[in-house]
Amino acid sequence: MTAFRVPGRGRVLHNRPVSFTFDGDTYQGLEGDTVASALIANGVHLMGRSFKYHRPRGPIAAGSEEPNALIGTRRGKGQFEPNTRATVQEIWNGLETSSQNKYPNLKFDIGAINDRLYMLFSAGFYYKTFMWPRSFWDKVYEPFIRAAAGLGVSPTEPDPDNYASRYLHTDILVVGAGPAGLAAARAAAESGLRVTLVDENAEPGGTILSEPQAKIDGKPAWDWLEAELDALTDLGVRIMTRTTAIGYYHQNMIGLCQKLTDHLEKPAASTPRERMWRVRAKQVILAQGALEKPLVFDGNDRPGVMLAGSAQTYLNRYGVRVGNNAVVVTSHDSAWYAAFDLASAGTKIGAIVDTRPTPNADLVKEAAARGITVFAGYTATGTSGRLRIKSVRINKVENGTVLAAQTLACDSLLVCGGWTPSLHLFSHTKGTLKWDDQSQTFLPDRITEDCQIAGAGRGLWGIEAALNDGAAMGTAAAKALGKTATVKTLSVADDRPGTGASHTELPTDLDAGKARAFVDYQNDVTAKDLRLAVREGMRSIEHVKRYTTNGMATDQGKMSNINGLNIAADALGKKQPEVGLTTFRPPYTPTTFGAFVGYHKGDHFEVTRKTPIDSWAEENGAVFEPVSLWRRAWYFPKDGEDMDAAVRRECRETRKSLGMFDASTLGKIEVVGPDAVEFMNRMYTNPWTKLAPGRTRYGLLLGDDGYIRDDGVIGRLTDDRFHITTTTGGAARVLNMMEDYLQTEWPDLKVWLTSTTEQWATIALNGPNARNLLAPFVEGLDISDEAFPHMSIAECTVAGFPARLFRVSFTGELGFEVNVPARHGRALWETLFAAGQKYDICPYGTETMHVLRAEKGFIIVGQDTDGTVTPYDAGAGWAVGKNKPDFVGMRALNRPDLTAEGRKQLVGLLTDDGTSKLEEGAQIVLDPNQPIPMKMVGHVTSSYHSDAAGRPIALALIEGGHGKTGETVYIPMPDRTIRATITGTVFYDPENARLKL
Amino acid sequence: MTAHIDLSKAGILAESSAVRVALLPPVARFSLRAATPEQKALSKALGVTLPAKIGQCGRKGDIEIICLGPDEWTIIAPEDQAGTINDVCAAIYAKTPHSLTEISDREVTVHITGPKASDLITIGCPRDLDQLPVGEARRTVFDGVTTVLWRDGEQDYRLDLWRSFAPHVIALLETGCAELAGE
Repeated sequence: MTAFRVPGRGRVLHNRPVSFTFDGDTYQGLEGDTVASALIANGVHLMGRSFKYHRPRGPIAAGSEEPNALIGTRRGKGQFEPNTRATVQEIWNGLETSSQNKYPNLKFDIGAINDRLYMLFSAGFYYKTFMWPRSFWDKVYEPFIRAAAGLGVSPTEPDPDNYASRYLHTDILVVGAGPAGLAAARAAAESGLRVTLVDENAEPGGTILSEPQAKIDGKPAWDWLEAELDALTDLGVRIMTRTTAIGYYHQNMIGLCQKLTDHLEKPAASTPRERMWRVRAKQVILAQGALEKPLVFDGNDRPGVMLAGSAQTYLNRYGVRVGNNAVVVTSHDSAWYAAFDLASAGTKIGAIVDTRPTPNADLVKEAAARGITVFAGYTATGTSGRLRIKSVRINKVENGTVLAAQTLACDSLLVCGGWTPSLHLFSHTKGTLKWDDQSQTFLPDRITEDCQIAGAGRGLWGIEAALNDGAAMGTAAAKALGKTATVKTLSVADDRPGTGASHTELPTDLDAGKARAFVDYQNDVTAKDLRLAVREGMRSIEHVKRYTTNGMATDQGKMSNINGLNIAADALGKKQPEVGLTTFRPPYTPTTFGAFVGYHKGDHFEVTRKTPIDSWAEENGAVFEPVSLWRRAWYFPKDGEDMDAAVRRECRETRKSLGMFDASTLGKIEVVGPDAVEFMNRMYTNPWTKLAPGRTRYGLLLGDDGYIRDDGVIGRLTDDRFHITTTTGGAARVLNMMEDYLQTEWPDLKVWLTSTTEQWATIALNGPNARNLLAPFVEGLDISDEAFPHMSIAECTVAGFPARLFRVSFTGELGFEVNVPARHGRALWETLFAAGQKYDICPYGTETMHVLRAEKGFIIVGQDTDGTVTPYDAGAGWAVGKNKPDFVGMRALNRPDLTAEGRKQLVGLLTDDGTSKLEEGAQIVLDPNQPIPMKMVGHVTSSYHSDAAGRPIALALIEGGHGKTGETVYIPMPDRTIRATITGTVFYDPENARLKL
Repeated sequence: MTAHIDLSKAGILAESSAVRVALLPPVARFSLRAATPEQKALSKALGVTLPAKIGQCGRKGDIEIICLGPDEWTIIAPEDQAGTINDVCAAIYAKTPHSLTEISDREVTVHITGPKASDLITIGCPRDLDQLPVGEARRTVFDGVTTVLWRDGEQDYRLDLWRSFAPHVIALLETGCAELAGE
């Protein structure tokens, strides 16, 4: 049993010791302890150093609002987490924890020199100090700021943990399982609704866990709690602990982060570390309670200074006394009870110091009965003690004058400056707050979502008030969902209702300008900093916040915002609501990246679409490239070939004999209906009326701005049925665009679109032997040149599979594209590959496809076009139907700027040395000797080595390019300037003789 | 490396005490599109009344028809009935214009059953499953991928997935299958 553990007290398991390490030393705690409660039980309060001044710090709170006790935790390799709140992290055997922000160690830290120089580090220090000289910025200031910035140390190893996510729909989500939340859940569940109750703590109960003395409905509080949780479970309420509602988004979408394994010694391998729940709730009840405020006075941050309510929690929930000799400084009744509880447990209460001249008489009487000295109408003006508080300095205040000081020795100082309703989630909804003069805090005002706020969250105090308000709000939520429900009230004995006063920094007889009176502990912001910010011209609380960094730490000002506002308002001489409150943003508490990432990491990072032939490509050594969401075989290297060698071989072998290519990713849309041809005429630039069934045509699709959006070969199967192909990346976009026109512009057309991209596996055969390979497998169709000329389509059977066969070429060679139902794709591929061996068939990938098409000057939409290229710019004016009444983009093509001279036009480029391959994207100039910045007249869009052309070839968009054939242009590169000549775009077989085999 | 799933073999993909995920054998699928006046004649020709409400299913014998939009249905039938469906629709096309397009191979179907089948769906599908009655289906998403989700029983679902997206979705179902068993 450790020195400060109270036998039998609290909810920890006294017969289950747990050992863990902190900064290398082993400590004993109990199952149910947090790192903070276990260390305090061992008499350790010093747990960290502050961010700016490196002042020694201990936990000031017992929950997730803790700003000081931030530690590193290590659960195993790669499982290091900085900035974990010691007050939240549960202990287990073998847990390794470490303090932060210290060098060489926690007790002696060199960075604490900042504390001695604190007068230099005032608000706006960075802005003022690092202004000049300018030349210092890169070499001196930025490295310094970077070294000083940030809390803790980032993890360096990959995170081996798994994270999960789920969706959840619930009628009523109750956030916070304290008395208000429990009662709300009960009321809602009894009306038969689906209810979810979440709490960030390891167990539900909230305040009840810290106030076992209360008797609810005649039962001891903890007995009542146990029975109540059973009743809720029986009613089907989903109760989730260690689950933080991190954000409240539009239309009652709430993000919950559930921690599943951080508290376990040996979590199951299949259990994710955390799970993000995306909850859609019909009604939300926010029962998040209130957070205790510290008092602001010099030295209010030493280890051993703690919120009184937290000390009460350490005692009643964890069975830990925070010290042997405590003094209480408070402006609220609640701290008196903490003092009484601690006194009963054996801690000497040196004094209760209340800032109010006349505290509650009953409390004063109780203190007297216990022999506790009371100082009423006093202020605290200082503390002493380096690594742990040794004494507190207090002074009587009379008529605004601070009288002589006296010093009270203590090893712990319990402070309470009142309570702030926790309205973070409510603030996420953009619900408005209203300043309440009586309680000196903001309370919820206008509600914008379907939500209720219950209990201490709206300023109520005491378990009974919270329970009954929770029941009322649960009933209200149920009624809002059409259920009948009646409010059941409960009575609570030994309840601790109370009131308090609110302060700025406490008055002092010393120089306030030298006081280290902390408002924001995590960012080391003092009252002096806030007043300085106002003196230096900050008027809005938003500016004060940014200038001082008050409330900008990882705790988002849970403790500091209201104290900061009170001080800023006082300095400005305005009322608090005139100065305003800063906005809380999600997440409520720091949340791991893993929780947001969920399942989307590694193999599952993003959807990877695969064709039916993908597995063959992988087995045969393909290198893949991503093309939109697909992965496509890029090239098939053989025997140590690099990409360049593999692509040149694939190109050569295809042109020489036969290549095969997986074109399954091509988008496919089936257009069916009596108005199919009319639809085609309206969508595409080309005329379709005269295209006979069994024939295909290259189609060009524009946006209504006249620019090329997509292209592809389109076959007419019957009068009323077209088979469109689109680019791989354009498939979904094109279908959306077509549906959009059909539904909004032409709902009268009797034509329907179906995506058939994935119905078909598509194998392209190209090369002089394409027909020789294919013909023996084709049944029901004569594929001779006479019977099935270039640009034909037919349904037939290929290798026994039903097929749609295109005669088409994207290479300039004799070509066919065989479409078979997707499940047969790989089988057909293997059949053709085996039979193709006698023609030295060569599987090729997308890179070879790109080279072969560039040699023929075929464009790739999105590579040779960029969304500002018209058919005429691309040299595809021939594809525009001149006699059509209309098509998408037709009117735009007549706009003056689209018909103007000097537009960028697609041309070929050959480098004059015959060997330099241009870089895609390289800029082109007409005069390489002009001063920089040069006038750039265009850029290279495609560039490849071409064995067929015997030299590198390129396509480029150049201003007025079509009129510049034969002219010289220059491509300045970092190391040299390359000369090139503008040519036509066809580099190989301009007569198309090879198609006519 | 990316997930490897062999879509050519029907059978169990993942199984735990919580849930079983299996790939179903192929079926004939058609996308049927038609305007309101044509629906009566098509219902008659197919022998199944086209359901009028989105998400509703009509069934007769082995044929199942789901309404996916105001003018859109998917017909599911045993493979040997594909020809008949094509023929009866073609026969009335001239007087009853519509679009019947075969999509049998566009999709694969995953069958999800077991005591935590519904929970498994919630790892990827944002819909409220309590609002999906048994016997109906919804076009929805699973982990961002378009799918049609059929509810055949309280804990009995089918998920129609476009073929190329299936490995991604199945990989997550496998992860979830193990995760749920560990709870």
